[in-house]
Amino acid sequence: MRELIDFLVRKRHWFLFLLLEIISFAFIYRSSVYQRNVLLSTANIITGNIISVSGSIRTYFYLSQENRDLLTRNGQLEMELLELKSLLSEMSADTITFKGYKSSPGADMEDRQFDFITARVVNNSVARISNYITINKGAKDGITSHMGVVSDKGVVGIVSNVSDHYSVVLPVLNPKFRLSGKVSGSSFGTLMWDGRSPRYANLSELARHVEFAEGDTVVTSGYSSAFPEGVIIGTIASFKKQNDDNFYTLQVELATDFHALTNVRVIKNNAQTEQRDLEEEVRSND
Amino acid sequence: MINNVLKACIYFVVLVLIQVWVLNNIHFFRVAIPFLYIYFILKLPTGISRTSILLLSFLIGIVVDIFSNTPGLHAAASTFAGFCRQPLIQLLIGKDVMPDLPPSYRMFGIGGFFKYVLIMVILHHTTLYLVESFSLFDPLSLLIRIVGSVILTTLLVCIVEAFNTDSLKSGEK
Repeated sequence: MRELIDFLVRKRHWFLFLLLEIISFAFIYRSSVYQRNVLLSTANIITGNIISVSGSIRTYFYLSQENRDLLTRNGQLEMELLELKSLLSEMSADTITFKGYKSSPGADMEDRQFDFITARVVNNSVARISNYITINKGAKDGITSHMGVVSDKGVVGIVSNVSDHYSVVLPVLNPKFRLSGKVSGSSFGTLMWDGRSPRYANLSELARHVEFAEGDTVVTSGYSSAFPEGVIIGTIASFKKQNDDNFYTLQVELATDFHALTNVRVIKNNAQTEQRDLEEEVRSND
Repeated sequence: MINNVLKACIYFVVLVLIQVWVLNNIHFFRVAIPFLYIYFILKLPTGISRTSILLLSFLIGIVVDIFSNTPGLHAAASTFAGFCRQPLIQLLIGKDVMPDLPPSYRMFGIGGFFKYVLIMVILHHTTLYLVESFSLFDPLSLLIRIVGSVILTTLLVCIVEAFNTDSLKSGEK
């Protein structure tokens, strides 16, 4: 007995080692990505503030590129505005009262399905296998988990953890990320990342009869409640048939440059809870 | 004693901040990330008990985890590295000499210290990347990532150690 206790005391670091490793692995494998503890992520207020120091410095490195992108975007929007204005003037010339146009902006705010919340990226990684992005807006700004996040170029990811002032986004560059996407105007497939290059992702399970060519645009299908239909994901870089020969897998060159990500927009879908509740109900009835 | 505790605290805070502010943003050739925080585990004095080494390694791992949004990952890897530290030191310098000093070039000799750092870094990084890639297994890119990061971290640790005046002083005592 004495020897046994002696042995246990002498080998106590073995037990401590096992205990600590078990704790670590419990953290790693506990529950899903969406229900992780805010305390153990950069979404909590202390770590969020510390990590945003490097984020705010990093922002400066990409200022010129950001500026250029905004100018381009601005130009595009201006063109669109001119087009719409000319269309409107044509129409109002045709008909005295044009019912489709409401003069006071904000009058139809209640009916609009999607709103944007702009946020800044404070922490970002691209070289790991499980990448995450932290942004500087949280529950106080109306963000909840499962919301879609886009940059000015295309899809970024989906919000997974939210604290009062920060949120953690699960980006396309994470093997746990799934998104339904489609090649413009045809049937849809599932977007996943293979963990290799931060510039490419795969669109798999695309039906064989679909016609497409390299360089075609891949957009969101609108089937998930996080993104509206038609948000750009990227362009087709190459494609191959899957083993079972009934589906195509496309390699998609992502439109978003994750290396230079500084400003993002979170999409608030006013009907999201309704859609999710309904889908949950159907699933639980199965 | 108090001096050692204070020194360890400073090492801890500074290395964690360097790791999360600077090094986590470095993706050398888009594959390699240096994990300099392992320097903290490497430099703990040799006189310290194995249980304390384990607890401290776990602590720095979990703190780095919190900042990288990877709960448990770095904790598992650095606990393992901390666990292997004592046997490794005994293997490299023999059981007879065991002064209560942080490992340094003087204590091991340049080649010995390099060996010590390299083995510890390999143990740590291999665990880290293996655990991380459970969700997505791709042997080739895994190997490239491990080798790249090991080279980068070892280089960085050796450079930091060469410029660390603190360990020069303590070696002369």
